[in-house]
Amino acid sequence: MQTAERNSPETTAETADVPLQLSNIKALVEKINVEGLGRTKDDLVIKTIKELFEAKDFQQVVLKSQEVRTKLEKLGCFKNVGVFIDTSKGQDATSSGLEITFTVKELKRVLGGINTLVGNNEGSLVIGSNLPNTFGRGEKLQVEYTYGTKQSKGFNGMFVKPLHNKANSILTSSFYQQNSEWPSSGYHLCEQGISLDASFDSVPLLRHSVQWEGVWRELSCQSRTTTFPVREQAGHSLKSALRHVIHYDNRDSAVFSNRGTLFRMVQELAGLGGDVGFVKHELTYQLNVPITNDVVLQGSFQGGFMKRLNDEKMIYICDRFFLGGPHTVRGFEQRGIGPQSDNQALGAQTYWAAGLHLFTPLPFKPGHGGLGDILRTHFFVNAGNIDNFNFGDNIKESARILTDRYRLSYGMGLMLRLGTVARIELNYCVPLKCQRGDRTHHGVQVAVGVQFL
Amino acid sequence: MRYGAVAVPTSDLHPISSSRVNRPAPKKAFGAESGCHENLSTSSSEMRTQIGKKAHRLPRGHPALEPWPSDVKLYQPYEVEQILLQDQANSLAVQVFLRMCGLEFQVEMRSNAEHMSPSGKLPFIKCGAFVVADLDPIVSFIANKGINLTDHLDAAQKADMRAYMSLANNILGNAELYISWCDENVLNEVTCPRYGSVYSWPLNTLLTWRKQKQVTKKLTALGWITKTLDEVYEDVDHCCNALSERLGNHLYFFNDRCTELDAVVFGHVFTLLTTPLPDNRLASIVRSYPNLVEACQFLEKAFFQKPTANTTDGDSDNFN
Repeated sequence: MQTAERNSPETTAETADVPLQLSNIKALVEKINVEGLGRTKDDLVIKTIKELFEAKDFQQVVLKSQEVRTKLEKLGCFKNVGVFIDTSKGQDATSSGLEITFTVKELKRVLGGINTLVGNNEGSLVIGSNLPNTFGRGEKLQVEYTYGTKQSKGFNGMFVKPLHNKANSILTSSFYQQNSEWPSSGYHLCEQGISLDASFDSVPLLRHSVQWEGVWRELSCQSRTTTFPVREQAGHSLKSALRHVIHYDNRDSAVFSNRGTLFRMVQELAGLGGDVGFVKHELTYQLNVPITNDVVLQGSFQGGFMKRLNDEKMIYICDRFFLGGPHTVRGFEQRGIGPQSDNQALGAQTYWAAGLHLFTPLPFKPGHGGLGDILRTHFFVNAGNIDNFNFGDNIKESARILTDRYRLSYGMGLMLRLGTVARIELNYCVPLKCQRGDRTHHGVQVAVGVQFL
Repeated sequence: MRYGAVAVPTSDLHPISSSRVNRPAPKKAFGAESGCHENLSTSSSEMRTQIGKKAHRLPRGHPALEPWPSDVKLYQPYEVEQILLQDQANSLAVQVFLRMCGLEFQVEMRSNAEHMSPSGKLPFIKCGAFVVADLDPIVSFIANKGINLTDHLDAAQKADMRAYMSLANNILGNAELYISWCDENVLNEVTCPRYGSVYSWPLNTLLTWRKQKQVTKKLTALGWITKTLDEVYEDVDHCCNALSERLGNHLYFFNDRCTELDAVVFGHVFTLLTTPLPDNRLASIVRSYPNLVEACQFLEKAFFQKPTANTTDGDSDNFN
């Protein structure tokens, strides 16, 4: 009789239109299974999945299990994570109980690969191998050999231990050897060193890094024509430095940003041991303001200041700041602004650089999904100054010294995005203001890189 | 100086110990005693015509033909704390050669002189825009400016001189390297502390170790690594014997006029006599050839001492 009532046409017509609310369905997670664990430690997995037990209704269960799945994938232990939600069975099961099964596939013990890397005006080939999830808690041991287009070679070995806490702390220790050529200053640098790093988020999106680095540098002249002030710095030096980095980046994209700011500050104290001693501060700031849907106005600023620590320790040319080039103040040769000797840059201890950019889509607006996504035009004005200034106590006087003989350039160009990390710029630059000795570049400049002013 | 404790027998020679030597060639101070300079001053007019004659080797207006600048500097490692046997000998040879030519220069001491040098050899001079290292290239560089000391030699004598210079540099130079880097005593007591004195820890140990490997490799290639210390001393003895025989009872090797060979021999002899080592056998070997010692003393008096008329105490420290 009950069945007959349920199927009667009048009652079905009234109840057919009520939508199902997942949040109204009471649910409780009673059991969580994780299948496929091998070397990953239990306590790490338990810590990650624990929050699932707090879900009270079905909607929460579904959302939280997705979150937990993402967290498990980010641990650095697993390749794939699958989720299966089922009603709980067995003796202790209640009517609203659920049993969730995560099927994980652990990463292999040894992974290797060949990648390409894009740096500033340089591409490199990276051959590396790593041991993911080395001890079961998401650690990684990695060894890489890099070979770059500008004959820069290097290798590094790194051990990363994430702490999996709220602050997303990661401890890294690495040793590296890096050879690099600097033809704009006439020297070749070989650096071998060890670095220890502890990074954490003090508030979300604000990342701190506290680092210690010990580097043995060997500077040698590239050719017989290297200018004498650079030749005087040839030889060996040892730098032992403490560094603190603050990094805040809420831009939507690092390459073609539409909105957001980037703030980065680096403070370095060298001189605890070794023969290199200085205090260095460096600041980078970038602000993107979308004007219309496609047009973005960007203002950026970079500045740095360094001072010798005492009379016993030195500052070498490879520690100093340099300015000029397609990645900083456009319209000048690489390292073309500032103290030079025989057309080779010597660097200086204080600098600032500022840029104002207007990014617009291509003139004929190809629209989204095609060239329009990866190509942009940009108009820019860049300014900067660099020298070994002597600052007194008077702030007004110091400000005047800094801006007294600044350089200025403007121009326009095309930008092409390479993936999500780098871009190619093709610019036509006009240097407006320069000082005697600067190496200007009036005309087309091409640059590939990750960081631009 | 952190050497092993061996008393240096007193002699008229003083180790060069000043940090800066600023000594313009005192042409007018040299009188008839110094045969070399008498010849230099009287033959200066000959030299001038010779500059004209030699100039056709390089095109006109070539920067190397410019007259000797007044701010030429000679770079070497620190004399008191850092420099080692072979570099000291080479540096002295170049210094005395430049003085023999009557050319002004200043000595600059740098801890990284070895790395500043374009070829890695010491010493090197900076002359205007040119940086030239090692005695032979410096001699050629100066010859291009029309100044040389071998005009009075005929072809056979020039070949002779080259042979003896090669002998001195190969035997004495390599012996200095061997004793500095391959003899345990000297290595630990003298060489390592001196070579690493300009670097902080741990670079001092690393770099000394690296340099030792380089020197050992070079000596292996030359066949010196298999020699024992006694064999090395014997070779030094034979070399000094040959040089002593050639010198005879003159003060110079050729025609009573100074040449590069005198400079090279001076450099080695002075260094070997005045550097205290844990075992002073080298000094005694050299001292057993009195004519070499006398020639060395003569050159030292002639080129490294203040003129006696202007000093109150001629025997005291030569340099300020």
